[in-house]
Amino acid sequence: MQNVVFGLVTGSILAIASVGFALVRQTENFLNIAHGQLLALGAFVGVVLVTEHSVNIYVAGAISMVAVGVFGLLLAILVFEPVRERGGTVLLFTSIGLALVLEAVMIAWFGTGIRLYRISFGEQHEIGDVVITTGEIVIVALTAVTVLSLQLFLRRTRLGRSVRAVASNADLARVRGVSARTVSATVWFVSAALAAMAGVMLGVLTSVNTEMGWHNILIILAAAVLGGLGSIYGVLVAGLVLGIVMDVSALYIDTSYRSVVAFGLLVLVLLVRPEGIFTLRRRQEATV
Amino acid sequence: MTSVVFWVGVLTLVGFYGILAMILNMEGGWGGMWDLGTAGLLAVASYFFVIVTLDDAMLGTRFAPGWPLWLAWPASAVFTGIVAFLVSLPALRLRREYFLITTFAFAEIIRQLIVVQDDLTRGVIGFSGLDRPFDDVVTGRDYNYVLLGLVAIGVVVVFLITRVVARSSFGLLLRAARDNEALALSLGRKVNRMRRETFVLAGVLIGAVAPLYLWYIRAVTPQLFAPAVTFTAWSALVLGGLGSIAGPILGAFLLIVFTEAVGLVDWSPDQANLATALEPFLVGMLLIVVLRVRPQGLLGERGAFRRATRRDRSDDATEPPANDALPAPAMSTPRSG
Repeated sequence: MQNVVFGLVTGSILAIASVGFALVRQTENFLNIAHGQLLALGAFVGVVLVTEHSVNIYVAGAISMVAVGVFGLLLAILVFEPVRERGGTVLLFTSIGLALVLEAVMIAWFGTGIRLYRISFGEQHEIGDVVITTGEIVIVALTAVTVLSLQLFLRRTRLGRSVRAVASNADLARVRGVSARTVSATVWFVSAALAAMAGVMLGVLTSVNTEMGWHNILIILAAAVLGGLGSIYGVLVAGLVLGIVMDVSALYIDTSYRSVVAFGLLVLVLLVRPEGIFTLRRRQEATV
Repeated sequence: MTSVVFWVGVLTLVGFYGILAMILNMEGGWGGMWDLGTAGLLAVASYFFVIVTLDDAMLGTRFAPGWPLWLAWPASAVFTGIVAFLVSLPALRLRREYFLITTFAFAEIIRQLIVVQDDLTRGVIGFSGLDRPFDDVVTGRDYNYVLLGLVAIGVVVVFLITRVVARSSFGLLLRAARDNEALALSLGRKVNRMRRETFVLAGVLIGAVAPLYLWYIRAVTPQLFAPAVTFTAWSALVLGGLGSIAGPILGAFLLIVFTEAVGLVDWSPDQANLATALEPFLVGMLLIVVLRVRPQGLLGERGAFRRATRRDRSDDATEPPANDALPAPAMSTPRSG
């Protein structure tokens, strides 16, 4: 059971990161490889604020989210918007280029060393035979609140509904008078801010370094595919499941197989259900 | 400041990445298969080759058959081909980005397995000081010329193979299936089988060139097969021109010479971070800028297939209009032929 709790915490962070990734995939139609670097950037902004300017962790997290969110929006306007018409391949490779540039900037700025938040996780609570710290509860709770707000935003607000409209049929949405520009800007901001949030949480839980970006984008991709790239809620559940599977598998086999398990699961799911676990619609790409 | 030997080494690396980019071009450029598993197959080939040629059980590995070179080299090509076939079974059920993710996942699984299975692969330590052919004939620095020669032969052979594929009806069909899979299927072509054959051919070629890479590095560790290898080869291909025949080599040349030359700059120790950051920064910027200014790469696909397109104008319809701007100059040779 203890590992299920660990998995829940890991999975929450993964879910937050993957939901942002899936949002961009849905509305902008490409895999944003630079998403992992935005996550790392968020973690760095947070750790610098906390350790060098002794800012409260929640404030630091919020600042990091807004800062990276705005930064993500700027990147979208400067880097992705001009090549948007050229389709998925160009956008994908542009995002790989951007990921390299961001990684370089972070190496130059923050160095390659490992940084720690050095934040106490508070007291341990024993529920049955499971031990969980206050900090871990906060992470899971924050994830729940974030997902709920995102859900409310996408379902109840006009802007959120526009986002979903563009995601399901961009042309039809445009015909119906949805501003593609506003939707795009919203999605980029939200996606980057969520990446930063995941980055800060991951940084608090483990450590911060410039390898974070490349390391996490793989698992984010896995979660996004498992959930079905078209479904935000599927991605959410997939993130949680993946986190729990990775941590529970540590009970039975060596922990070094952790990511092998994650990717093995991914390949297995693609074989059995190429459209992802949680989508009803078959993936067009997989039908031929 | 720099020695000739240094640039010989750089050219060897150019050749090697040129080969990888040409293989990727065959899969990705013509076959439409976005393969991010190159580093994985390269790792399979390298470890297979190193392990079967081991003759010293003292290194603490479980398995050291000590095969001779003439057996180990072709065997590594065949073995990598078989692994590529196995990977293609799940991967080819998917298209485009799903294919990309599956192959990427496969490469990561391989790399993790290499780290974990240390009784066979010596984990993160790997093997170093590998034996090379002609090592006792040509010694020291001169060996770099031998290596350059071997890689140059590799480049020519792979170039000729990909050119034959590109100009054959097989290559035309691959491109047709990439642009309109439903149409190719309706013409009765076995699209999936063709893609599988291309994927396996790529595996065999990677298996065949892996020893060259090993002799260049003279060591094998899991770190060598990080995703960066795949990304560098893809970047070279995208820069040179996805789909063109000579583009991959041009792209690899520009990319590798550029980054190696930057590495020559003397940095003071307190600027160590800047020095480390410079290479990914420049590669990333190069990618972003080239894709912005010239999305088809320096040599586009249209230039490479000019003669074919002139004979059959309908081929043009599938090309983005941006290609009309500049016909690729270096590919003008097919015109006269």
